[in-house]
Amino acid sequence: MNGRGRRAAIWIGAMAAIAAVTAAGSAAGLNPSTVGFAYLIAILLISVWGGLAVGTVASVVATLSYNFFFFPPLYTLTLADPANWFALAAFLVSSVTVSRLVVAARRQAETAEQRRKELETLYGLSIDLFAATNRVGALGEAAGRALQLLGARGGGLVLFDESPYRQRVVSWRGDKPEEIEDLIAGVGRHKEPLEFPSPLGRDVYLPLIVGGKPTGALVARGTEASMHALESASRLVALAVERQRFIEESAHMQALRESEALKTSLLRAISHDLTTPITTINIRMESLRRRAAGDDDLRETVGAIAEETERLRRRIDNLLSMARLEAGKAKPRPEPAPPADLFRAVRENLPLVFAARPVSVHVDDDCPDVNADPSLALEILVNLVENAHRVSPPGAPIELVARRHPLDGDKVRLEVLDRGPGLPAGVADAEGNVAPEMSDVGQRGLGLEIARSLAAANGGSIGLAPRKGGGTVARIDLPAALLPVGERV
Amino acid sequence: MTVSSLILVVDDDAAIRDSLSKELRAAGYATATASDGREGVTVFESGAPDLVLTDLAMPRSDGFELIAAIRAASRTPIIVLSVRGADADKVRALDLGADDFVTKPFSVPELLARVRAQLRRTTAASSVALEFDGLSIDLERRRVVQGGREVRLTPTEFSLLELLAANAGKPMFIEQIIARIWRDTPSTTADTVRVHMSSLRKKIEPDPSDPRYIITEPWVGYRFIAEPI
Repeated sequence: MNGRGRRAAIWIGAMAAIAAVTAAGSAAGLNPSTVGFAYLIAILLISVWGGLAVGTVASVVATLSYNFFFFPPLYTLTLADPANWFALAAFLVSSVTVSRLVVAARRQAETAEQRRKELETLYGLSIDLFAATNRVGALGEAAGRALQLLGARGGGLVLFDESPYRQRVVSWRGDKPEEIEDLIAGVGRHKEPLEFPSPLGRDVYLPLIVGGKPTGALVARGTEASMHALESASRLVALAVERQRFIEESAHMQALRESEALKTSLLRAISHDLTTPITTINIRMESLRRRAAGDDDLRETVGAIAEETERLRRRIDNLLSMARLEAGKAKPRPEPAPPADLFRAVRENLPLVFAARPVSVHVDDDCPDVNADPSLALEILVNLVENAHRVSPPGAPIELVARRHPLDGDKVRLEVLDRGPGLPAGVADAEGNVAPEMSDVGQRGLGLEIARSLAAANGGSIGLAPRKGGGTVARIDLPAALLPVGERV
Repeated sequence: MTVSSLILVVDDDAAIRDSLSKELRAAGYATATASDGREGVTVFESGAPDLVLTDLAMPRSDGFELIAAIRAASRTPIIVLSVRGADADKVRALDLGADDFVTKPFSVPELLARVRAQLRRTTAASSVALEFDGLSIDLERRRVVQGGREVRLTPTEFSLLELLAANAGKPMFIEQIIARIWRDTPSTTADTVRVHMSSLRKKIEPDPSDPRYIITEPWVGYRFIAEPI
């Protein structure tokens, strides 16, 4: 039944009820006071059913009928006995009052019922939100259910990604015209609920706010629910969203911690498992070397094995360094390192290279210390010296030079100079550097690439340049360790 | 006949333990072995070795526990066999009282040199002069002669040289150096030590490009590397 039909039915019913009481009273010849009580009962029922307006009009009509049909002279609106005016007025006042009282009581009951329903809905929502939220989807379902129970005919839950203008619809019912997005952004920005009439009835936009920050919005379209209930629902959803976010973040952190721990123990295990056999080989080699003392053939073989084992060890060192840097396990720890000490460490690391050819070392008097991670700086140098050794003809010297950077006084330039085949002519730029793809990188291979990334990790760089008179200069530019003013001697 | 020094080798890897013992015996030392820290303490107490070589990462009871247990009772030299990339472990072991370390995989001659240095340090009687190849340090008259010519050092430089040379072969923490030489100004920074060390090295090293006496020890401090004669 539509609203208008219902109103008409109420009016007709009300008038019919008055007419029925009048007809029954007349036909039965009841005395006026009995009829008065019958009218009062009818008006009470009419008010319960039809509300205040119908009740009041029915009171007036009943008063007129009462006068017309039951007070002498009958069938006129005049009264013979003036005392009856008082009775009639008392009747009118009572019936209007009854009507008002009944309607007020009914309204209160209705409001109480609505509050009860809303409370029930909110309670259900809180249970839903806090029992079943292991995913954002569950949040949306719970919010949607709550909106439905709060009498909303459309709407849903929208969350913000960082800004109210980046919205993620978690759940939505009914159509969603474009302007709704702006309305949602608006309540997100102003952090105030918005309420206005709409084609669906009454639309309410509620920001979800946790700790003063808008995290999303709850939209109830065409709802009769009280603002109080809607705001409570939005607070509950906001808390649940925040809780959800915490759960996700903590799961993420947990996963990160676990993967970090895994990386660490994995690197440790690899380091240990690769190092141990090489250590054993090195030690056994010593006993072989002793036995080979009188046997040239055997001595040469042992020497070759030793050399290859050394190369293997260095490669493993390289790869572990790279893996550690990449896993974030090792941050370069720069400290002042004198270039002479680095060169000396290179000699200790490459005894076979230093035994096979002349290697000269020169450190300029005014060359500052390098400010770099000493083990990484050593690895860079070892790789470059090994490369120089590989491309140089037998017996050709290698030179190691350290000096202050010619252009940038805050840098130290370490150079490895060889007399190998060198770089193809005409590929160097004005500064004598060559692009890696134009040079003999292929020959220099993995070692150069590793040196390059280790240098970058140390805040330095590597360049290759043709050397005057043939060969190649490998340059490592690293930050200089500058002593604080006042500490210089 | 001289009694050979007894070296205790502690490592959980049997291949390293056995091959290392064999090489040490070939070099003239007597050996004892243990496979973890706890066994190491037992063998240490029953055998009273002259030097201990220990791995750090071992199941059950690790090298740190062993070092702490030995240091609680004795000053026997301890050399740690550390792995590369475990600098924090190395520094912690030195802090606990280890005397030196070698990084796996090490070469046997390198290890033997470290062993000799440690054994010598403990047997060296306190003397009035420290003699090294090409360098002599007269502790009484505070004179230094390098390559036949006298080197003039400032009092601080001489103290630095004396401290390091007396601990030849042993890595010295910068903090230790500050505590010993700058007793009265403990707020001295590592930079101050570096400045004095750099000028000392310039004076005593015949070839600054190829240091023979003092080198920096990454993340620790300095080490005097020449062997006493």
